[in-house]
Amino acid sequence: MPRSFDIHPSKNRVTQNLEIQDQPCVQADSNSDSRQISCLRYGIGRANPLTAEHPVVARNLRKTFETIEAVRGIDFDVLPGECFGFLGPNGAGKTTTMRMIGCVSPLTSGSLNVFGLDTSKSMREIKQRLGVVPQETNLDEELPVEENLTVYARFFNIPSNVAVARAKEQLSFMELTEKRTAKVSELSGGMRRRLLISRAMMNEPDLLILDEPTTGLDPQARHLVWDKLFELKKRGVTQIVTTHYMDEAQELCDRVAIMDQGRIIDEGTPQDLIQKHIGREVLEVRVSEPMRSQILAFSLSMAKGHDSFRDLLVLYTDEAERVLEKIKGSGINTDYTLVRRSSLEDVFLKLTGRRLTE
Amino acid sequence: MNPFKPFSFSPKQAFRVWQREVSVYKYVYKSTIISNLMDPLIYLVALGFGLGAYVSSIHGLPYIQFIAPGLIASSVMNAASYETTINTFVRIHFDRVYEAMMATPVTVEDIVVGEIMWAMTRSTIYSIVMLGVVTALGLTHSWYAVFVPLIGAMGGMMFAVLGLTYTSFLKSIDQSNFYFTLFITPLFLFSGVFYPIDALPEIVKTIAFLSPLYHLVEIIRPLVIGNIGYGIIVHLAWVIAFILIFTAVPVNLLRKKLVK
Repeated sequence: MPRSFDIHPSKNRVTQNLEIQDQPCVQADSNSDSRQISCLRYGIGRANPLTAEHPVVARNLRKTFETIEAVRGIDFDVLPGECFGFLGPNGAGKTTTMRMIGCVSPLTSGSLNVFGLDTSKSMREIKQRLGVVPQETNLDEELPVEENLTVYARFFNIPSNVAVARAKEQLSFMELTEKRTAKVSELSGGMRRRLLISRAMMNEPDLLILDEPTTGLDPQARHLVWDKLFELKKRGVTQIVTTHYMDEAQELCDRVAIMDQGRIIDEGTPQDLIQKHIGREVLEVRVSEPMRSQILAFSLSMAKGHDSFRDLLVLYTDEAERVLEKIKGSGINTDYTLVRRSSLEDVFLKLTGRRLTE
Repeated sequence: MNPFKPFSFSPKQAFRVWQREVSVYKYVYKSTIISNLMDPLIYLVALGFGLGAYVSSIHGLPYIQFIAPGLIASSVMNAASYETTINTFVRIHFDRVYEAMMATPVTVEDIVVGEIMWAMTRSTIYSIVMLGVVTALGLTHSWYAVFVPLIGAMGGMMFAVLGLTYTSFLKSIDQSNFYFTLFITPLFLFSGVFYPIDALPEIVKTIAFLSPLYHLVEIIRPLVIGNIGYGIIVHLAWVIAFILIFTAVPVNLLRKKLVK
């Protein structure tokens, strides 16, 4: 499988050069401007774009549980070597999508290919090449740390001497070596999560799927997990991550799909999505009616959009300082103003709404 | 989901599931063997010696001799039943061991078969240890007793199939008590372990014929005592038929429960 990891996306994607290439980046569906851009930018699939196998290809994917439509016809491609994120509020259908990719939940309709294989027909072959990190830990409480890895490796028919060597390597990579004989119940939340990731790496997967990998962890543990996921990506492991932490998505993901109520609302690199929906900056003003309408009247021409939630007016703009000066100049009294850089969180809130969905 | 969907079963992967149970058992066998076998041993001593002092003989056998083979059979039943109800429930709902397995090249079918194999293994181990105790007490009188572990495995399979079927309907761990109070205990008392079922009213006798434990007892007793008749064939046929007919039931039920 052709991969070009050397020009892999990294944290400083803003400064990355846009590479122009003559060969088109092939995409199966028509609505793929953002993908084109990301393909060009990252040079993914350049070796042979026509035959490069996309690790995951979903078309009109649907999942219905009795009366609930969890996933309502989504299309997406995950490209080799990238980290692809599903963002969305609780109940958006992220976990269900992950379970379908993991071949543990049969599709209701549509098609889903992983490594070019049909998930409804080649479960075992696909699962042999997948690493799965579930949302809630399901480590084997009855086995000590190291055996959690070696026993798991047996399910992949990995010879025991290889499994023991890999377990050792994984434990040291995840900084768990001194816990190798400990009981799972003695591990902290962060250690458990690292052990889960180690376990998922035992079969040296081509695709790692992580469902909310840092939910419930303290900041130190989150950063350590991120760091490890980065290293894995550098080694060429394609990753799919779900999260509702926008900083996490911005940190980890090359491309994200924002999901809401079972649909993908938009998809692209975090940078592109921010640029498309928000602009460079955000101006937050706490102000009530009728001043709000006054502000909107003269600022909308300089903004990409706005949002309001109770007393908070949020303006999406490329020139927040200028808008703020204008507000001050107009003599309107405001309780609170803030100019800040735009983030993926703004995109998320703009697209999925500010109100609680549950 | 279509209940007639073909099974996706691999003996090798089922063996991997079985191996996981063996790995866990290494850590717990010392404590569990003793606690699980105390139960039949207490019955053997209390009733065999205590009640046996007053019951002169049953079918020409001293009372302790009569009940000893039956208690081997009941230990087989208990081993497989605990394994496939409480333990399996914990693996599904609390430890979520099966969820972890299903992320690997293991299917629900492999898991169910692996668990049945494991329950059989545990039943076999218990039948061997119990046979050892019975033999040590001088109550084994035939070399046919070497077949007892084999019958233990078959019995383990029957009770694993029953236990997994019940577990597939379980909503909470407390409900597993019903299985023991309403099913296992009556079987224990009405299956000819402590007295021949001819003593029972006609209707209860008919019901007893449906008891898997009754057939196990009727196979194991002659093997231990050495008075084998043609009757044993009927009981063996019953056990084999049960296994052939019902094994697919928990596979289907658990697939429905675990694959969503």
